[in-house]
Amino acid sequence: MRLDLCGLEKWYGSQAALQGITETIADFQALAIIGPSGGGKTTLLRLIAGLEIPDRGTLAIDGEQLLFNREALLRHRQGIGMVFQAFNLFSHLTALDNITLPLEKVHGYSPAEARVHAMDLLERFQLSSHAAKKPAELSGGQQQRVAIVRAIAIRPRFLLFDEPTSALDPEMTAEVLEVIEELRHEGRHLIMATHHIGFARQVADYCLFVSGGAVTEAGPSSELFRHPRTAALQNFLAKVLKY
Amino acid sequence: MLRDRLQRCVLALILCCLLPGFSVDRAAAAEKDTLVVGMELSYPPFEMTDTSGKPSGVSVDLALELGKSLGKKVVIENTAFDGLIPALKTGKIDLIISSMTATGERAKSIDFSDPYLSTGLCLLVKKGALVTGIKDLDRPGRTVAVKKGTTGHTFAAGNIRRARLLVLDKESAAVLEVVQGKADAFIYDQMSVYQNWQRNRTTTTALLVPFQKESWAVGVRKGNDVLRMKVNAFLKEFRAKGGFERLGDRYLKEQKEAFKRLGYPFYL
Amino acid sequence: MSSFFFKLLFDQRSGRDETVPLLPLLLGWLLALLLVALVFTFAFQQLQYGWNWSAVLAYRLKFLQGWLMTVAISAAALCTSLIIGLTAALARRCPFLPARSLGTLYVELIRGTPLLVQILIFFYVVADAFGITDRYLVGVLTLSLFSGAYISEIIRSGIESVGESQLESARAIGLTGWQTYRYIVFPQVLRRLLPPLAGQFASIIKDSSLLSIIAVSEFTLNAQEVNAFTYSTLESYLPLAAGYLLLTLPVSLASRALERKYRYAT
Repeated sequence: MRLDLCGLEKWYGSQAALQGITETIADFQALAIIGPSGGGKTTLLRLIAGLEIPDRGTLAIDGEQLLFNREALLRHRQGIGMVFQAFNLFSHLTALDNITLPLEKVHGYSPAEARVHAMDLLERFQLSSHAAKKPAELSGGQQQRVAIVRAIAIRPRFLLFDEPTSALDPEMTAEVLEVIEELRHEGRHLIMATHHIGFARQVADYCLFVSGGAVTEAGPSSELFRHPRTAALQNFLAKVLKY
Repeated sequence: MLRDRLQRCVLALILCCLLPGFSVDRAAAAEKDTLVVGMELSYPPFEMTDTSGKPSGVSVDLALELGKSLGKKVVIENTAFDGLIPALKTGKIDLIISSMTATGERAKSIDFSDPYLSTGLCLLVKKGALVTGIKDLDRPGRTVAVKKGTTGHTFAAGNIRRARLLVLDKESAAVLEVVQGKADAFIYDQMSVYQNWQRNRTTTTALLVPFQKESWAVGVRKGNDVLRMKVNAFLKEFRAKGGFERLGDRYLKEQKEAFKRLGYPFYL
Repeated sequence: MSSFFFKLLFDQRSGRDETVPLLPLLLGWLLALLLVALVFTFAFQQLQYGWNWSAVLAYRLKFLQGWLMTVAISAAALCTSLIIGLTAALARRCPFLPARSLGTLYVELIRGTPLLVQILIFFYVVADAFGITDRYLVGVLTLSLFSGAYISEIIRSGIESVGESQLESARAIGLTGWQTYRYIVFPQVLRRLLPPLAGQFASIIKDSSLLSIIAVSEFTLNAQEVNAFTYSTLESYLPLAAGYLLLTLPVSLASRALERKYRYAT
């Protein structure tokens, strides 16, 4: 897919979370956004997700401009799947109902169709035994995987991940990353903000390094990680890869 | 959590140990030099409080005179009317001087002295209610107000079958019901009906001929004949000395004259 | 030896999900009830009270009528107060500012004044001015307005306690505002509300006793009348207390059961 960012700015009060980002990524399948906390990667992701409106600038996905009015953003959000860092699932619904809810209420599936489709996906990801459980009865890793199923069930244009494993322990992290890698291999388009440099390297074909509200460096991940050009990225990688 | 439980156990134990301290030796009450007299201080001019909050009125003066004659200090206990008999029974008070009618029912629970005042049940009627007597009230669609625990209440419970009965806590509430037109009449004693009518001349009328005669007496605990005899002796002497005449002049001058004009007998 | 008593009388569970073993639980209850019984027996002995149950027994129909009236009034007040409470909670969250202020004014005034005072003012002043004479209607309305203020606070905090992340999730999957309210907020709030609402119902049942002050013939007034006729205070008031317990205990048990059922991490 293609992503065109032009002069994107986002202010929170007097703080600039994003300072005029202009970047064109002509053709990618999986995009990784890395960078220090508070650097702006989550803000950028939320703009692409249609959860926030930029104060300035434009955004185009696959050549189509994203219009920043309520109806357009609603439709945009309905067509993509997003997985957050934590607390994705609705706590009063079972895993199955969490998946069928958007299918039935947003995408017009009949309850029977939604159920069948959801169960198929849960089976695929070895989660069918957890279908009737509420999120509180699932482990963190299981919750995130159900959240991923919910995101892909609606047959989205692309998927967004906001640090999906940050709240998980190493074992659960691995199970979630495996799923994401699988999705990548299926040919789905992903944009993910992550701390896992190793994973980003492995899965993403393009990478943006966002710090201080700007895209400090950008490029195909094969080059970016091996030959970081800016001092900022070099320092960042050194720090992150130290342990 | 353990400490909480422990603390609670200790507290309960302490409270249990304190309980004996609250008991009062009933037998020693007769030898006390105080006389605790119970009355409800919301019944002017017999039982009321003056502007400084001290009890005053016919019954208060009567109690104080009684105390003087018995050589005891008098303490007035302000108690709700329907709580007077229970208070007497449990020994919280020694006497009831609260314009209480001596009835057969009450005599089952307590003993009464000789009567000291004759009065009767009358009606405070709402303006325009077309009520000429108690018989007019026992009809469907009528509403009758009474004060809880009074002889008016007892009468109504026994004789008002078809009208709606409103049982109120306070005399003032019952009067308000009549004044606001929510009740057709309030059954109460003659003196108070007269007074309330005077205070609400535009909204009420009064039927001041008693349909049931009653007399007030002093209440003592059942079996306390010693005290009862002493009270009777006092009442006889007080009347002979013109004590009641003086009380009537002091508190009920207006009523005395009004009743004379209206032709009702005034018994104090 | 001491550790034996320890095991018998103290709660030594390590986790919250195990249940207390039966023998210590029963023993604990037995001892507590024994203590209460002792206190009461001691108190009654000191009073030298002459019990007279037969007089009160003759009035048992009166007790029953009063009890049924209390049930009816409480049920009616609960339904009405739910409506009032919901309206007030929504008003306080709506963007129309006068509505928000009105809601806040209502809640603060009602919560800040005693129910007794409200009953007297509403019946003798407000209802009279508007010409509403049925005291049972006024009684139920007053009780509903009173309870509605507390219920509106319960509902409002329930709504606000639905996590931001839940709302964000709803947005991310493309639910409209109305759909979010209907499928996410409302079900979660409802589950959170049931325990405190059950408690509020118990409060309504007990508070209804104050309506006796305007001669509403509910349970308390009827018991007071029996007392007035028979001079048997304790024999009138003990059944009165028992009658209220008969209503409030099931409610409080239900409330605790609901709490346990809906207790899950959010």
